[in-house]
Amino acid sequence: MRRILTVLLFACAALLGVVTPAQAHNVLIGSDPKDGAQLATGPEKITLTFDQPVRQGFAQISVTGPDGSRWEDGKTAVDSQEVGVGVRPLGPAGQYVVGYRILSSDGHPVAGKITFTLTAAGPGTASQPAPASSAAAPQAPDLSAQAAEAAQNGGAGMAVLWIAAALVVLGGATVVALRRTRGPGAAE
Amino acid sequence: MTATVERAPESGTVRRLLAGGLVSGAVLAVLAATALTAEEAVPGIALPGPLVEYGLPVLRVLLDLAAVAVVGLSLLPKLLGFDEPERTEPVMRRARPLAVTFAWAWAVLALVVIVFQTAELNPGALPTPGMIAEYVDNVGAGQGMLFSAACALAYAGFGLLAVRFGEKVPAELRIVIAFFGLLPIPVTGHAVDSVWHDPIMISMELHVMGSAAWTGGLLTIIMLVAADRGLLARVLPKFSRLATLALVLVSVSGLVNGLATMALTQGVELPGAVFTSDYGLLVVAKTACVALLVPFAAHIRFRLLPRIAERQGTAVAAWAAAEITVMGLAYGVAVALTTASMS
Repeated sequence: MRRILTVLLFACAALLGVVTPAQAHNVLIGSDPKDGAQLATGPEKITLTFDQPVRQGFAQISVTGPDGSRWEDGKTAVDSQEVGVGVRPLGPAGQYVVGYRILSSDGHPVAGKITFTLTAAGPGTASQPAPASSAAAPQAPDLSAQAAEAAQNGGAGMAVLWIAAALVVLGGATVVALRRTRGPGAAE
Repeated sequence: MTATVERAPESGTVRRLLAGGLVSGAVLAVLAATALTAEEAVPGIALPGPLVEYGLPVLRVLLDLAAVAVVGLSLLPKLLGFDEPERTEPVMRRARPLAVTFAWAWAVLALVVIVFQTAELNPGALPTPGMIAEYVDNVGAGQGMLFSAACALAYAGFGLLAVRFGEKVPAELRIVIAFFGLLPIPVTGHAVDSVWHDPIMISMELHVMGSAAWTGGLLTIIMLVAADRGLLARVLPKFSRLATLALVLVSVSGLVNGLATMALTQGVELPGAVFTSDYGLLVVAKTACVALLVPFAAHIRFRLLPRIAERQGTAVAAWAAAEITVMGLAYGVAVALTTASMS
């Protein structure tokens, strides 16, 4: 028993050395404009600040106006702890909701929202109420391109191939072995 | 007191009661906890559909239970001992194929979980092999799951050798592989970024290994050994020492992890956050589960164990079934806890 514990502790230590480039669950610690701010003129850019660096890719920010129209402009950019997106000139006065969903550095998606109020109507008009899925769609093509590249370099693609092969071989062996044990086992 | 002469039909019901209690407890708890901690809808952001939102935690908890069964079945030969092969061998002959089956379930579930995790990050899109490869390449949680699946497959391989060659395949080897497969699972959960990261991670690993040994050990003993009073008289006292150690280890490491993770997260005020944040509430729920386990464990340890040691018939299976159901609840809450929001 003691031998096993020693082995396990060593294994634990080895694993920690490999896996832990310190990763944590991100928490929103600040934003520009601030949550609940009252603004006379619309911001040109929304910046959200997290306590940890945010992972590239997967980050989305949306700005929704009082009438449900969308005001964010361009792609969401991730710069270490700060995630930002441009904003078109805002239109009607009222409450705007900034929604976000980012990939936390420990690998979990984190979603949330902040709100700010525009006190005076701006010059902008809601031109295109973007469908909700448009934020996710542009990521798909470059994702698969990157994945193909990764598979060529023998990354996860190779691992999946190895596991698939192991599954087939072991699966066959399991069926054979279990059938063999069940044969005499049924007699007892 | 009660007549325990007719063993055979009763053990079938007990087995169903145990497995049913564990699985339904875990699934119900995880569904309730997921519903409680559901991501609130954010305007303009696509969130994963209900299939992913509820399917992923259910798969995760089933994976945990399969791993628990594998660990328990691996510990069985050490608990039975090797002195009386003619008595223990019939039990082991049933345990070994079961271990292989559960290792298979573990591996397959881990791979399916990777697919669901990819889908969670790409709401509205069906995961393609390219997206999955990308996910595993970039995100530690995916790599952890892949490593766990690989360990489960390796276990299935060695388990098959054990089915064929019996105890000539060292029990320690199987135990180590099973625990090794457990190690990456907490890495896929919450983590904090501070100097305390490594100690917290080690305590988390101990928590996972302790709870798997405790739940798995009890489950296998009641499932496979309880019908033979002579064998039970020898095995349960041995396991009882392990369980006491596990109880202390699991409750202390669990409390330390939960509180430390909250204390080290920015913007979380400790005493208040325990009752206001999802994370804190789930920590409270898990603590309540452990508190509920103590009387069951104590009853088995102090009231039933002396009579079991004298080979008298007892209602140990029913008590253990209740205890295992509570353990299932704790596992369900644990899965929700790994992704619950802090604030």
